[in-house]
Amino acid sequence: MSEIFNYYNLLGIPFDATDEEIRTAYRDTARRVHPDTSQDPDTAERFIQVQKAYEVLSNPDQRSNYDLTLPAVFTKPPVLLSTLFSRSSLQRTAEPQLMYVLLKLSANSESSKHTSPPLNVCLVIDRSTSMQGVVMDTVKNTAIELVRRLRPEDIISVISFSDKADVIVPAGTNQDRAKVENSIHMLNPGGGTEIFKGLEKGFAEVKRYRTPKAVNHIILITDGRTYGDEPACEVLAEQAAHMKIGISSLGIGGKWNDVFLDRLATKTGGSSMYISKPRDVEILLKEKFRGLGDCFADRAFLKFEVNPGVELRYAFRLQPETSMLDINSPVQLGAIHQGTNLEVLFEMFVHPISSEKGLLNLVKGRLFFDILHRADPQYSMRLDITRPTSNDPDPMPPPRSIVQAMSQLTLYRMQERARQDVAKGNIKEATRRLQFLATNLLSQGQRDLARTVLGEAANIQQNSSFSEDGEKRIKYGTRALLLPPSKEEKGS
Amino acid sequence: MIICPNCRHEEISGAIFCSECGALLEGISGLTTQNIPPTPPNQIAEAMEEEAQKAQETPYLEADVSLCVVDTGQIIPLDEREEFTLGRSAEGQPILPDIDLAPYRAYENGVSRLHASIKKQGRQLTATDLGSVNGTRLNGQKIPPHKPCPLNHADILTLGKLKIQILIRR
Repeated sequence: MSEIFNYYNLLGIPFDATDEEIRTAYRDTARRVHPDTSQDPDTAERFIQVQKAYEVLSNPDQRSNYDLTLPAVFTKPPVLLSTLFSRSSLQRTAEPQLMYVLLKLSANSESSKHTSPPLNVCLVIDRSTSMQGVVMDTVKNTAIELVRRLRPEDIISVISFSDKADVIVPAGTNQDRAKVENSIHMLNPGGGTEIFKGLEKGFAEVKRYRTPKAVNHIILITDGRTYGDEPACEVLAEQAAHMKIGISSLGIGGKWNDVFLDRLATKTGGSSMYISKPRDVEILLKEKFRGLGDCFADRAFLKFEVNPGVELRYAFRLQPETSMLDINSPVQLGAIHQGTNLEVLFEMFVHPISSEKGLLNLVKGRLFFDILHRADPQYSMRLDITRPTSNDPDPMPPPRSIVQAMSQLTLYRMQERARQDVAKGNIKEATRRLQFLATNLLSQGQRDLARTVLGEAANIQQNSSFSEDGEKRIKYGTRALLLPPSKEEKGS
Repeated sequence: MIICPNCRHEEISGAIFCSECGALLEGISGLTTQNIPPTPPNQIAEAMEEEAQKAQETPYLEADVSLCVVDTGQIIPLDEREEFTLGRSAEGQPILPDIDLAPYRAYENGVSRLHASIKKQGRQLTATDLGSVNGTRLNGQKIPPHKPCPLNHADILTLGKLKIQILIRR
């Protein structure tokens, strides 16, 4: 909390700072407030305080004594981190090996009883001709229903786009909700799909009212493919991430570009969802809003460095919303919901370990969050992934939660690879993969999905490509297998 | 290096599943309960046919028994096997029940790690308490441990304090 003065704030470091971080921060701060370099008359005083702070924090005994005097709000972590490993130790061998790491982040139970954060959300609605009919009506009705449920502190804005974009409802406080409903009601489809124009306007609306204590989010609803402006959209997504605005998409039907919309989500910590039936628009859009309202911490990201002998090969968010993640630092992780862990699975490729060192550090980094209910929302915690090494392989099987997640993630990745094969023209490979995938799905009792997969296997043999709809059904179908089963039935 | 027992694909050591065929790699088997070893691809057609037949015949006590967790309304189907153990998983514990009740507040409700089992025998469905700490009740009556008790549609089985309803679709 920034209002409370303490040595950590003075040096601008987090509570769990390492000795090295303390040293670096001390040097920087001391230089800045040194009486020789600064004109400010208060600096002499500040300089002495900084000296004192360093003296205390650099001494482990003095530091722990000092920590006891600090108020609990400062010392008690608002977020709990637990780490599970597929193997408790790494083997020293001349062969490479894989290590799976499951990160679980949750709201610290006692501090989790807080009201929902204020929302600052923009709906960017595709109104191209193809949206006409049931789809558009469902989108409009759901949007109106959601507007009715908003609280006075929430801010909504609505953009509609085709080849051009219009601000239907501008963001603002004290919005006339009846007028908002009316404006949404008046939406009429017509024209093409140029996503960038819509996103750009949506971004401008959310940006104006963004605060670190609100959930700032753009929800894109589209059924079409945008041509040529994907790179511009991706640049915009990067800016959005920088400004702490998330982007999630709902793709309707088979024509939209899922790879592209996934990238937007990955860059901002958002999500992408596939809608096969118009009716699902309502369910998924409401679910998305519920999720935003449940945010305890938002805009979680991980800044890290990997050991030169280690590669981060794959990163996937298992919950709250399944999504691919970036494998390069910083990785946008999304939100921690109240009552639901944020779970992320990493696959690390470890090059042969020859050294006799007892411990190997795989990743060194820091997790950042905005804890929405806090006066000063910014919070960070250290993430060190270190494993002991041994001459023998770890005899213990991996933890069950990792095995279970991997059993499903493996299927998702088989689907990914089949798509890569098709893109490269390796039809035989792709067919074989899909058959394996179907077999696995059958053994899990996923008959419908297995049937879709076999149908696509036949399809690629005939046409050398997936059907657009089937491709997405398989992708989002295998992705849905990762969701915990208890989630689906809960409802309202 | 690990060789996949199913498709002979080479995997980097430390891998858990074969990236080619999705099979659980050796040395890890016996860990999960859900993973039935995959059938070779040439049997897919047969499997599909079987599925279709199953759907037509809908035999009694095949896929038509499910459990309903009373508090949450969650339905857990019991299919593809004849006997299921019920209990809760605990981190770091090697004991794994077929039906893990941990997500339904099993610990708070006093469910043992291996609490009871449900068995399908022909047209009969029975429940057996496996010597659990807090006991099992059938429609409110405590059942003796290690003795199978017949179950009927809509019976309420209580493990510790966790209520589960038996659903049999005919």
